[in-house]
Amino acid sequence: MSKTLATAHIFKTGPGTSIQDLGRMDYGKYGIPTSGCMDSKSSQWVNLQLNNPNDAAVLEISQPGLGIRFSAPTMVSIAGAQAQVLQNGKEVGNPSLIPIMAKDQLEIGQFITGARVYLGIKYGFKSQLELGSRSFFKEITPLPYFSKEGKVSFWDEASTLGVLHSKAKWDHRWFEKEELEVYLGPDWRLLDQETKSHLLTASFHISPLTNRMGAQLLETVENKLPELPTNPVFPGTVQLTSGGKIIILGQDAQVTGGYPRIFQLSDLALSILAQKKPGQVVRFSKLVC
Amino acid sequence: MEITPWLGELQWEHSPSDELLSQQLGVIDWLEEHEKEHTDTVRQGFTSIAILWKEQGFQTRFKNHYKTIKFPRVQLSDRIWQIPVCYEPEYGKDLGSLAVAKRLSLNSLIKLHAENRYRIHFFGFLPGFMYLNGLPELLHTPRKPFPDRTVDPGSVAIGGAQTGIYPRESPGGWHTIGRSPVIFFNIEKDPPVWAKAGESLEFVPIDGEEMNKLLKQPPSPYLK
Repeated sequence: MSKTLATAHIFKTGPGTSIQDLGRMDYGKYGIPTSGCMDSKSSQWVNLQLNNPNDAAVLEISQPGLGIRFSAPTMVSIAGAQAQVLQNGKEVGNPSLIPIMAKDQLEIGQFITGARVYLGIKYGFKSQLELGSRSFFKEITPLPYFSKEGKVSFWDEASTLGVLHSKAKWDHRWFEKEELEVYLGPDWRLLDQETKSHLLTASFHISPLTNRMGAQLLETVENKLPELPTNPVFPGTVQLTSGGKIIILGQDAQVTGGYPRIFQLSDLALSILAQKKPGQVVRFSKLVC
Repeated sequence: MEITPWLGELQWEHSPSDELLSQQLGVIDWLEEHEKEHTDTVRQGFTSIAILWKEQGFQTRFKNHYKTIKFPRVQLSDRIWQIPVCYEPEYGKDLGSLAVAKRLSLNSLIKLHAENRYRIHFFGFLPGFMYLNGLPELLHTPRKPFPDRTVDPGSVAIGGAQTGIYPRESPGGWHTIGRSPVIFFNIEKDPPVWAKAGESLEFVPIDGEEMNKLLKQPPSPYLK
């Protein structure tokens, strides 16, 4: 059976909507950030529902108010934040798998819990591949974000219609956890005992200064750490600045940094953090390597 | 040392130097040759190398054998890139305040910066940003307490013990002392950068008139 390339037209969007996949991990050698889905647990889940390979590109939506129209039949899956989903104006009960007809329109409304919605499509979105990834990033891909409107290709697929025997239900409770499991970072040993125990027991609030580059926490932690030579960092590296700010690096963070690296988040903790909104509480809990 | 079951780091206690860089590049070459299929990526910093392993077992095996591995030492390249830089106040807006703070004349500050040769250690911060070693101690300057909102692409700046070139427009906390018309990162090219870790770089002062010409037709960097 032959497939043809069809177009999904984003006719409205809030800030911060982008195409993401597994990112370009091996291009840090040129100073290029990793990129990729902030909450990989949710993006993997939508790809699994669609029988997609795990590198299929999905839409990452971080604000309500997205509208998208499809020019051809396909199947989509929505997970991540729990949000209101409308298909041609009618509320979709379980958005785990949504059969799409040509000219169908989907809208993502209000977010009930969580901060990022993932919309996957059969075979993945086919935006431009750059250095092995379709993940949007300024000056790497043609667009850094979709703004107001945009277009992205996908393979049409009529045959998935009618194969809805068992529809899984997305359970969002996992990201309501406040504990972020962390490994101790390479510079942890430079901290004094008091600071160490404070970092592992205190509650911290997510500050409004939170985006794909990183999440800053509101509370500061006084420390006497020296300025260090610039060394590698990764998504999930937690930095403690000389001013006492705690920064948890995201997928679009730079690949090296000079601030002491006190923790490294587990993959699950990174996904949990990606679903936290400013004002919510997190705590660090130590994992033993 | 192991950080997570998949992420490990080799660390050195010394300060950044040519000697350390040649050891680091040797380890990176060795990993590229022997462990390429077992790693997702290898990232280099001034005093460490981070290795992200595909599986926990690969890291364990490496850790157990690490002490017996004879890593090669890489002879650092003798290639020297020459980068035109216009050090006029129009492009180096912090040149004046830096000269005052250092009690240097503009000319001697420029001379100090441009007479030196810098070693390229690795790329980081922004796509195409080179971490350079070799800034004369007299020019070491704490970063700005409040970063500038935007710095022009090609801006040459000083921050802490470092000097560097912003490859693209970006917010910046370093003191801008000039600007280069060269393009430092081009996604259309493979690789998107023209220099390699271990090579060297020199800044060649140009005047405003030449800068205007070159900004319209960005030149390629040239080898000395």
